Amino acid sequence: MTLPDSSFLPAPLWVITVLHVLTLSLHFAAMNFVLGGTLIVLTGRFDRRWGNPTIRRFIALLPGAMAATVTLGVAPLLFLQLAYPRQMYSASIVSGWFWFLVIPAVIGAYYLLYAASFSGKEGVSSKARFLWPALFALLYVSLVYSSVFSMAEHPDLIQRLYAQNQTGFQWNPDAGNYLLRWLHMILGAVAVGAYFVGLLGKDDPETFPVAKRLFGYGMAGAAAAGFGYLVSLNGILAGLMRTPAIWGLIVGILLSLGSLHFFFARRFLPSGLALFVSLVLMVISRHQLRVLRLQGHFDPASWRIAPQWFPFLLFLICFASAAMLIVYMVRLFFSSRPDSL
Amino acid sequence: MQYPFWNLAVGYGVLMAGVAVLHVFISHFAIGGGFFLVVMERSARKVADTERLEFLEKLSRFFVLTTLVMGALTGVGLWFVIGLLNPAATEVLIHNFVWGWAIEWTFFVVEILAAILYYYGWKRMAPADHMTLGWIYFFFAWLSLFVINGILTFMLTPGTWLVKGDFWDGFFNPTFWPSLVLRSAIAVMLAGLYALLVASRCKPDAFKVRMVRQTAWWGIAGLAAALPSLYWYWRAIPATITAAAIEALPTPMRALHYSQWLAGALAVLLILFGLIVPRRLHLSLAMVIMVAGLCWFGSFEWFRESIRKPYIIVGYMYGNGVEVRDTDTYKRDGYLSQIAYRSGDDGADLFRHACRSCHTIQGYNPLKPAFDGTDRAFIGAIVPNAHLLLRGNMPPFLGTASEANAIAAYLEAHLDRRPLSAIYGLQGIKLGEKVFQVRCGKCHPMGSPQDKTKSLAGLTQEEYRNLLNNAAGYGQGMPAFTGDEAERSVLIAYFRTLKAGGEK
Repeated sequence: MTLPDSSFLPAPLWVITVLHVLTLSLHFAAMNFVLGGTLIVLTGRFDRRWGNPTIRRFIALLPGAMAATVTLGVAPLLFLQLAYPRQMYSASIVSGWFWFLVIPAVIGAYYLLYAASFSGKEGVSSKARFLWPALFALLYVSLVYSSVFSMAEHPDLIQRLYAQNQTGFQWNPDAGNYLLRWLHMILGAVAVGAYFVGLLGKDDPETFPVAKRLFGYGMAGAAAAGFGYLVSLNGILAGLMRTPAIWGLIVGILLSLGSLHFFFARRFLPSGLALFVSLVLMVISRHQLRVLRLQGHFDPASWRIAPQWFPFLLFLICFASAAMLIVYMVRLFFSSRPDSL
Repeated sequence: MQYPFWNLAVGYGVLMAGVAVLHVFISHFAIGGGFFLVVMERSARKVADTERLEFLEKLSRFFVLTTLVMGALTGVGLWFVIGLLNPAATEVLIHNFVWGWAIEWTFFVVEILAAILYYYGWKRMAPADHMTLGWIYFFFAWLSLFVINGILTFMLTPGTWLVKGDFWDGFFNPTFWPSLVLRSAIAVMLAGLYALLVASRCKPDAFKVRMVRQTAWWGIAGLAAALPSLYWYWRAIPATITAAAIEALPTPMRALHYSQWLAGALAVLLILFGLIVPRRLHLSLAMVIMVAGLCWFGSFEWFRESIRKPYIIVGYMYGNGVEVRDTDTYKRDGYLSQIAYRSGDDGADLFRHACRSCHTIQGYNPLKPAFDGTDRAFIGAIVPNAHLLLRGNMPPFLGTASEANAIAAYLEAHLDRRPLSAIYGLQGIKLGEKVFQVRCGKCHPMGSPQDKTKSLAGLTQEEYRNLLNNAAGYGQGMPAFTGDEAERSVLIAYFRTLKAGGEK
């Protein structure tokens, strides 16, 4: 009996890439809300931090945003593992314990965010006791992700680290390859978090100026870290400049500036749209960078394509239905009144 | 063997079980609990039972905090863990079922949002709208089970997928439906048991009596539906798999068998303290009932995971990640040429990739106690034939003779190499019995079909000596007796105590 060969992609590579980029962008938006928002709540210069109703409302939204971060984070990882299994699994195995500890860290952060949202009705700072450790847990997760995903782009490094130690305690030592990228992500999260805080507190004279300031600082910091990261790419940067992704990057930078402009002008819809599109373009550049880094080691285009069209169609139908159902449920939640029946 | 190997101090089985057990207990509750909440809410609203509605709201907080956080994240954790422990199998599953997983993800997103809105909507939504969210939650939670059940059952019974490689053949495999019904019933049972925990903490009044009775019925109904579905599931598994499991996996089979007594005890407890004297149901007793239910469910999961051995995907991939279709390549070229990530120690690399996914040196399923006091020649003879000697629940060793020796050398370096008499402090017949256990009993346990003591009884000293001298010639995989003269003598002395039929 000839057994099936499982080395294939069940859809053309571009489909997998589009889905990865789309879902990763959604994940980043939610993650930035939680990570950037928590950072802002804890460190922003608010006069009455814990007594401020906007801050309290924002904290109440954190567990829901965390749920969105987790659920929206599943799909991009799935599509990434589909196209780059050798790179992804190998990097995570070499850092096995750090990777595994992501789960308890996220569980801890999640419960702490719930605890923060349920606590401190009198405006005391008990919320801080929950939010600080939650923030550290989230920073740990983000750092592990940066370390592992960066390692996944360097198969030689994985080989070398594995030869040294096989117990899963290898941290990516090539900090130059991911620390600036990580910093860019964190500062970008501050900018996006500030957008959400500002949106929620658009009529709050205490919150909005802080959000405005942090949006600006976050954006400037992210741009500086991102620029530093690009410079550190050396030869890869030249390759990136020969791909269409460089135009995406330029448009993304312009859109980020546009987003800042609209936000300062209190035009939140165009600001949010520009911010999200710039996020998508950043994800595309990031993807292009991965492809370039892996050149000579692995080309995802080398996969045999054996489309499973009907299951794929079913997925698209479920995806569209889920989106409609989400809109329906949210509308139902906000429109329903206890006395309406 | 395209991946590095995570050389965990704990066994793979331990880590996997730790995460998986937690996840299945919570995820099944997540389904049944959603059903329970919305059905109970509906009946409470019909009679305007505000006390019961308050109870349900309290339960929904426990439900959301348990299922949304622990349920969802242990599910993600399980995915992380399988990628770390068996990346090759995970890769096969993802390539074949990515759209299944992607569909499940859309259900998961709806399920999570519905649960959050349902929880926050108790006081702020119209009852009908609130229940709509409850129904959406339950329906999508169950649909998640529907999809995951297809991928999970595929691993045990891939069916005609092995011939055609078709998505739907693999998904709707022979155990899909019985497993779905069984798991749905278990979800209902667990909903009742978890709710019983909350109900047991109510004041001992008429309300508690009512709540305990109602929740106990859920437990009883779920259990009543689960038992015949378990039988259906057992019947749907190909006889070759069940027969091999009965012969080679006595412990999980026995656990499954005895757990049916647990199911009986669970039914009695539910009827007694749930229906007859509900007022007497205290938290501690509710916890005992819960533990009994989880142990019963856990024994099924253990059985299900165990009977796949030696495969991770039956007929397609062995537990150590070797694809069946690559057998000839491995036989021809050996393992080392296929191992992509090397540590510089061939013996260690070979041991990890060929054996370590099930065995540790000294932790879970350890080899050290089995081989302490033996030598490289003995281990080197066992390794290539372990799948024959151990009756089929081990993947075949597909490496070369020199690779088997490299594994033997690696193992030997980790063993206690003193004589068995020094290791165990034994002398005389007792030592002979230990020598028998170490050198013979692994493949010829007394009372098993491989028990050869019947033919050993009553031989002369000289015949026993000849037997040991020529052991390597008695059958495929039989190792030579490599013990020293002292061990040889006490083993013969032990043989001389045997009576026909293997009795001492």
